[in-house]
Amino acid sequence: MLLSDIYLWLSYSGISTRKLNRLLEQISPTKLWDSFAEETKLNLDDKTFSVLKRTRNEEYIQKIKYYLEANHIEYVTRADPLFPASLSEREVDPPLALYYKGDIHLARGDKNLAVVGTRRASPYGKYATEKIVKELASAGFTIVSGLATGIDGFAHASTLEAGGKTIAVLGSGMNNVTPVSNLALFDKICKDGLVLSEYPPDVHGSVYTFPQRNRIISGLSKGVLVVEAAEKSGALITADCALEQGKDVFAVPGDIDKPRSVGTNKLIKQGGIAVTSAVDILDYYGAAPNTKPQAIALDFTEQRVMDILSGGEKTFDSLVEKCGLSVSELNKALSMLMIYGLVHEKSKNLFTAS
Amino acid sequence: MLSRIKSYALDGLRGYSVSVEVDISPGVPAVDIVGLPDTAVKESSERVHSAIKNSGFYFSPRRITVNLAPAHTKKGGSAFDLAIALGMLVSTEQAGVDDNKKPLSSVSDCVFLGELSLSGEVRKINGVMPILISAKERGINKIVIPYGNANEARYIQGIEVYAVKTLREAVDIINGVPAVPVEKSDIVIGSSTSAGEDLKFVKGQYSAKRALEIAAAGGHNMIMIGAPGGGKTMLAKCIPGILPDMTEAEALETTKIHSVAGILDDSVGIVTVRPFRSPHHTASKIALTGGGSTSHPGEISFAHNGVLFLDELPEYPRAVLEILRQPLEDGVITVSRAARTVEYPANFMLVASMNPCPCGYYGSATHDCSCTPAQIQKYMGRISGPLLDRIDIHVEVDEVRYDELTSSENAESSNDVKERVNAARKLQTARFKGSQVHSNSKMTSEMIKTHCALDASGERILSKAFEKLGFSARAYTRILKVARTVADLDGNPKIESKHVAEAIMYRSLDKAVR
Repeated sequence: MLLSDIYLWLSYSGISTRKLNRLLEQISPTKLWDSFAEETKLNLDDKTFSVLKRTRNEEYIQKIKYYLEANHIEYVTRADPLFPASLSEREVDPPLALYYKGDIHLARGDKNLAVVGTRRASPYGKYATEKIVKELASAGFTIVSGLATGIDGFAHASTLEAGGKTIAVLGSGMNNVTPVSNLALFDKICKDGLVLSEYPPDVHGSVYTFPQRNRIISGLSKGVLVVEAAEKSGALITADCALEQGKDVFAVPGDIDKPRSVGTNKLIKQGGIAVTSAVDILDYYGAAPNTKPQAIALDFTEQRVMDILSGGEKTFDSLVEKCGLSVSELNKALSMLMIYGLVHEKSKNLFTAS
Repeated sequence: MLSRIKSYALDGLRGYSVSVEVDISPGVPAVDIVGLPDTAVKESSERVHSAIKNSGFYFSPRRITVNLAPAHTKKGGSAFDLAIALGMLVSTEQAGVDDNKKPLSSVSDCVFLGELSLSGEVRKINGVMPILISAKERGINKIVIPYGNANEARYIQGIEVYAVKTLREAVDIINGVPAVPVEKSDIVIGSSTSAGEDLKFVKGQYSAKRALEIAAAGGHNMIMIGAPGGGKTMLAKCIPGILPDMTEAEALETTKIHSVAGILDDSVGIVTVRPFRSPHHTASKIALTGGGSTSHPGEISFAHNGVLFLDELPEYPRAVLEILRQPLEDGVITVSRAARTVEYPANFMLVASMNPCPCGYYGSATHDCSCTPAQIQKYMGRISGPLLDRIDIHVEVDEVRYDELTSSENAESSNDVKERVNAARKLQTARFKGSQVHSNSKMTSEMIKTHCALDASGERILSKAFEKLGFSARAYTRILKVARTVADLDGNPKIESKHVAEAIMYRSLDKAVR
């Protein structure tokens, strides 16, 4: 019996990874397989015993392999050399197998950074994610996230937009991607990045599986950037995992009066690294930002708007009052600046220099 | 004796002549009305009876048959009362006959319209304006209408109109007693700035105000998105005040519809200010398009040549919104029922407002939004792509800050804005001379090609904008049309890059709903 087949058997059994890992500390996988043949009494509870006994047959494992192949899902087990080394650490509670679509080599990259946050993102969170992630991606970072709505989705999408690589770690099996609204994104990542899950394809996501996968998100990454998180947010679980695994935790500060920023502000208070631009992270890792020389000739009105915006974000109304331009002139200038990428509409009618 | 009195009826906005025949024969006293009358017409026998009696005439207790010819079209309403009463009087030789009991010529060359009260007064009716226009076209030159509708008659030249207050006065006319016709006057297009709110009372909101100006100048449909209390409704109410003046033809067209529906102000008798209709979101499909057993016009026709304002757009049932698509494209609504098909003009400017999410505060600077992404998506999804496709201008409206509310600074008044709008419209009228199109918003794809040619720099900006801001393809022609209007406001025959750049600012939903 191949070692990888044994891991596949255990992974497919549906028993929690933690329990299996504890078991494997006592007994090696091959011994475990053999012990069932010899009818040795192991120190197992009845349920675990009966599940393992029922599924322990080579034909069954062969069927699993056919099924995966038919669904175009590949897998690596802990026994394979391709298995990401960063996930083999004891702190990670290593999964027995990973099912994936896409380029598994990405998971072994040394420039992986997790970007996570709330599902209920505000326009500010969206803006911050897009801005920071695009720069990180063009500086060569692979962005790891969880393919949820909100910040996760924005992180994946902006990485792809910037032409970067991204890894999505699912909290369910490959055949049960949630939310459905991110299916298009899922397909894109399968093509241009990597989607992986420790759960067999037909497992449905549940209250237990989603927090569980967070340890893989942080495990694959050098550090975790939390963009926007409420006081109780899954993103904070990822940050906790990162701390346990000895990874760096970054957080984007937010308004002190917004519930959606309580989590990130708390992280900073507890020693997380405050991030206000991608440069903060790039500097920390000693990476060079991918700076493009900006030689855009601005005309008088555009320059004037830029000068005023350099003093901080401004609403449309206050720009009208401060610039002394007519509304149509201001509209034109803002429109051009947004096309040049020098100005960003942070939320409705609120403009800021990027 | 048999008598024949002319009257007039409407089928939609088209009129047709109705001949009211009354015959009196011996028999059990009864009044029979034939010729597909509805309940209101059937009941007229009771009104006519009392009116004749109370006007000092004699009501003959014999068998009376009234026929409304042509007998195959459905007749409704109370406008035949006067003609029926006069017919009875002529039949009983109490009026309209000479000394030899021969009918006078005045009986046959005049059309009579009006509802009777029991006392013999003549009450006002609906639809006088379209009847007068249609009657004039059919060569009728004398018509008697209720005094309450006299104002509508003042603006129709080339037809002699007599307004009567009582049955007695109508009898005088039928007897050939000289009467004074209604005095005619010219249409005075009202200053619409008196309508609705004035822009000078709107503090801040520069971006939205500019959007209103562009929309009014080009007749563009627009949608305002913003948190509650941002003043979206207030802004919408400012629109009538900055819309270009109505032309006489437009005024008459709109008045016809309002007259048919009975929503015309009788003290004026004509609509000279562009209508502003804001049906509530509980309005039914029929209320909006028109229809029902009488094929009544609906709100979108009332808004003809004016503004249809739909506040809180996503609250309208989807089915109601979808029916707007065809009228938005064609400018007319065809109401088809089994018995008949009626066409009403419905050339309106759609102005809508909506919140960005169910709670209203998504993206607000001061409040926190409590909606889930799925809720927001569902809310935005209530407005279909095809409908959004027909809306040229999207504008975000902020909440108003307290210091803006209390600032004493004087904003530009509606009158000043209107001057620019009128100038821009003049350019458009000249441009589209000889075609069915009156404003930039209604340009056909061929016109867009000829009138919206971009120079190289404009082309470059547009392609960059598509790439950077993620516009959908449908935005392309919308931006061109709006850019045309911006150039018109600038008095520029060419669309320059700055005009395109400004037009791009008003496509916020395209970015959100990609």
